[in-house]
Amino acid sequence: MPNIVWIQTGACSGDSMALLCADQPSIENLLQRHGLRLLWHPSLTTDARFGQILDALLGGREKLDILCIEGSLITGPNNTGQYDSWKGRAKIDIVRELAPLATHVVAMGTCAAFGGVHAAGPNPTDCTGLQFLKGEAGGLLGADWRARSGQPVINVAGCPAHPNTMTKVLAMLAADDTLKLDGLNRPLAFFSSLVHQGCTRNEYHEYDIEDEVLGGRGCMFFSLGCRGPQTLAPCNTELWNGHNSKTRAGVPCFGCTAPDFPSNRDLFVTPKIGAVPKFLPLGVARAKFMAYKNLARAAAPERVVNREMEP
Amino acid sequence: MTRLTVDIDLNRVEGDLEFQLDLEDGVVVDARCIGTLYRGFEQIMIGRAPRDSLVITPRVCGICGTAHLYAATLALEQIAGIAPPAHAVHVRNLCLMAETLQSDLRQTFLFFTPDFCNPLYAGHSLASEVTAAFAPLKGSVVRGCLKSTRELIGIVAIFGGQWPHSTYMLPGGITQPANARRLLETREILADVRDWFEQAVIGGDLDEWLALDGGPALFRWMAASPTRAGSALGLFNRFARDIGLHKLGTGTGHLLSYGVNQRPDGSGSELAAGFFNADTQRVEALDHLQINEHVRHSWFLDYPGGRHPWAGETIPDHQPGSDRYTWAKAPRYGDKVVQTGPLAELRIAGEALITDLLNSEGDNTWLRQFARLRRAGWLLNSLVDTTDRLKAVIDEAHFIDPKIGVWPDGESYGLVEAARGALGHWIRIRNGVIEKYQIVTPTAWNASPRDSSGRHGHWEQSIIGLPVADPENPVEIGHIVRSHDPCLVCTVHFIGSHKKTHFNV
Repeated sequence: MPNIVWIQTGACSGDSMALLCADQPSIENLLQRHGLRLLWHPSLTTDARFGQILDALLGGREKLDILCIEGSLITGPNNTGQYDSWKGRAKIDIVRELAPLATHVVAMGTCAAFGGVHAAGPNPTDCTGLQFLKGEAGGLLGADWRARSGQPVINVAGCPAHPNTMTKVLAMLAADDTLKLDGLNRPLAFFSSLVHQGCTRNEYHEYDIEDEVLGGRGCMFFSLGCRGPQTLAPCNTELWNGHNSKTRAGVPCFGCTAPDFPSNRDLFVTPKIGAVPKFLPLGVARAKFMAYKNLARAAAPERVVNREMEP
Repeated sequence: MTRLTVDIDLNRVEGDLEFQLDLEDGVVVDARCIGTLYRGFEQIMIGRAPRDSLVITPRVCGICGTAHLYAATLALEQIAGIAPPAHAVHVRNLCLMAETLQSDLRQTFLFFTPDFCNPLYAGHSLASEVTAAFAPLKGSVVRGCLKSTRELIGIVAIFGGQWPHSTYMLPGGITQPANARRLLETREILADVRDWFEQAVIGGDLDEWLALDGGPALFRWMAASPTRAGSALGLFNRFARDIGLHKLGTGTGHLLSYGVNQRPDGSGSELAAGFFNADTQRVEALDHLQINEHVRHSWFLDYPGGRHPWAGETIPDHQPGSDRYTWAKAPRYGDKVVQTGPLAELRIAGEALITDLLNSEGDNTWLRQFARLRRAGWLLNSLVDTTDRLKAVIDEAHFIDPKIGVWPDGESYGLVEAARGALGHWIRIRNGVIEKYQIVTPTAWNASPRDSSGRHGHWEQSIIGLPVADPENPVEIGHIVRSHDPCLVCTVHFIGSHKKTHFNV
């Protein structure tokens, strides 16, 4: 029975909280139907204490199938890692010891994948991700590091990671499925479509009906900082908490599955060149995009111009 | 006399918690609360656009991000003199109360009651009932709790897009209005959760249970039917009181609450804010200028005495081997050590049952945990009432654009009750960007270290004097500490300086 060891490093517990929200599959069904054993989770396990688990893993008495890391890897102050410790030991040292023993290592959330919110300027704790610091390969373990499976750290990015993406990835690993990864080592099964895909504001976007002020019904891409057309994530193809997504609810996508999250610019403002966003939908050529937008606006039906449709 | 210093690490809390205890002849004579994490949020905020606090600060805490979002929003509204419409205030309150309710239920049944399944209690007469109900991730109540809280937190997603970590509150309102569909879905969820709460948690009618106004009435009601006695609360009461948790873990008597379910007209909250002074046994009006933070025992650049958050500094200064033992500050209300959370909320608001129990038995481990379930019941009703109020203003504006190009210079604050109690954000804006951001979380109050006068924090006080029967399995410490609902990810930035005997709960 494959086991899971889940360790929190520089974290807010948001990924653990999201894990409790998963329903396809749920955490309890992951354990009972998918044959996984939760050997350690700081909030959920009761049978043993962390020191015992650590000794058993390092002493080879317990194998380590799936190591999940939640949180930034904090190296400060002065490379001691003492901003984040367990009984005086830097958590980064514990991660360095355990990672080589694991068949799979999974970064649960953007912090463990890329550094995340704690790595935002000025990165006061000198933190990093497991194999990336923002978009740059390296991180705590180095770009060439591989788990015993031969794969790099699997980056289940998101702030927090999508609940069902976490549990599905774990179920797939339990079933020995091979996960294909993208260039940032995110599993393609969840990171090949944009947040834009499935957003209920798409008809506004399609006809270039853009909001200038938050709280409205239109598209938020041109002016309000929404990165949905650039961000690979399952938020609108598999809804959150069974109901909704941020963009559907009028909250701009802040690109939390991307390595540069949170960006250093004003998060509610779209940077522009002239009247057009500086960063276009993924892969689109500027000249063609502008031609398409001009045509689209001309074709916009009244009911869309008048924002009659609730997203 | 034998003196022993022991380090404890404690799981099944939010984040990591370590305690260092000095034992003399088996009794705790000193306690130092030791967490393990410093993340530097206050530095990250400096120089950013003011509204970025709505995206960054909810990520302080994955459990109470809605509370951080609310506090950050209030601080921005205060600085610019913005009054949000009633529609928005009711939606904000719905989401915050839903978050608090899910936290109360999960904390009780995922973190607190698993201790009842400790092997130490295997011979207890209630052991088989306790195991059937409370076994981790398997017990009937635990599975029901997972299912109900998953459904409940959907309310935040309906209005805010997702939980955790969304940004649907804005200065001036909310991003998306309520409508008939969203209201109906919300009411369905609340009805389902109420059904479960009545059937599995209290074993009876919610309104009847909420009307109980004193300890004797509560115990009579719980004992009056096998359904009630065998419910999660019935089992919790019988087991916890049988092992003496109502006589264990007394901390500070001073209580602090910022008020629950704020009214849109600015006339206060449904559960009133205030400071309960244990010396006079009176509730005093809340004055945020009384709040000050000390760093005498913390690893921050030193300053004398306490400082109000507007004058505060958060400059890390790691000094291992000194008498400083913590990354956290010590907040005080005037010179008072306070506790905050559901017990404080309900007592300050004058809720009859909690007031009676606190008067008759004092602050204790059982009461703090019971107060959390009591609040859960109260929230279920208040959530439904809030949907009624929301329905009455559903056609009014949900957002009024404050039309702010450049944010005004100045200082402000936002205060809310998070699941674990009083949460405050204090900000200063200069030249249109954030110049200072200070957050005082509930756990900073409860888990504070000693201050510059040597006064211990609330958790430390609740453990000092405790006889520890078996230092290898000090389950009583686990009960006491978990009854405080520790949330270490927010706030407790301690690093241990000694390493001696280790044990664990």
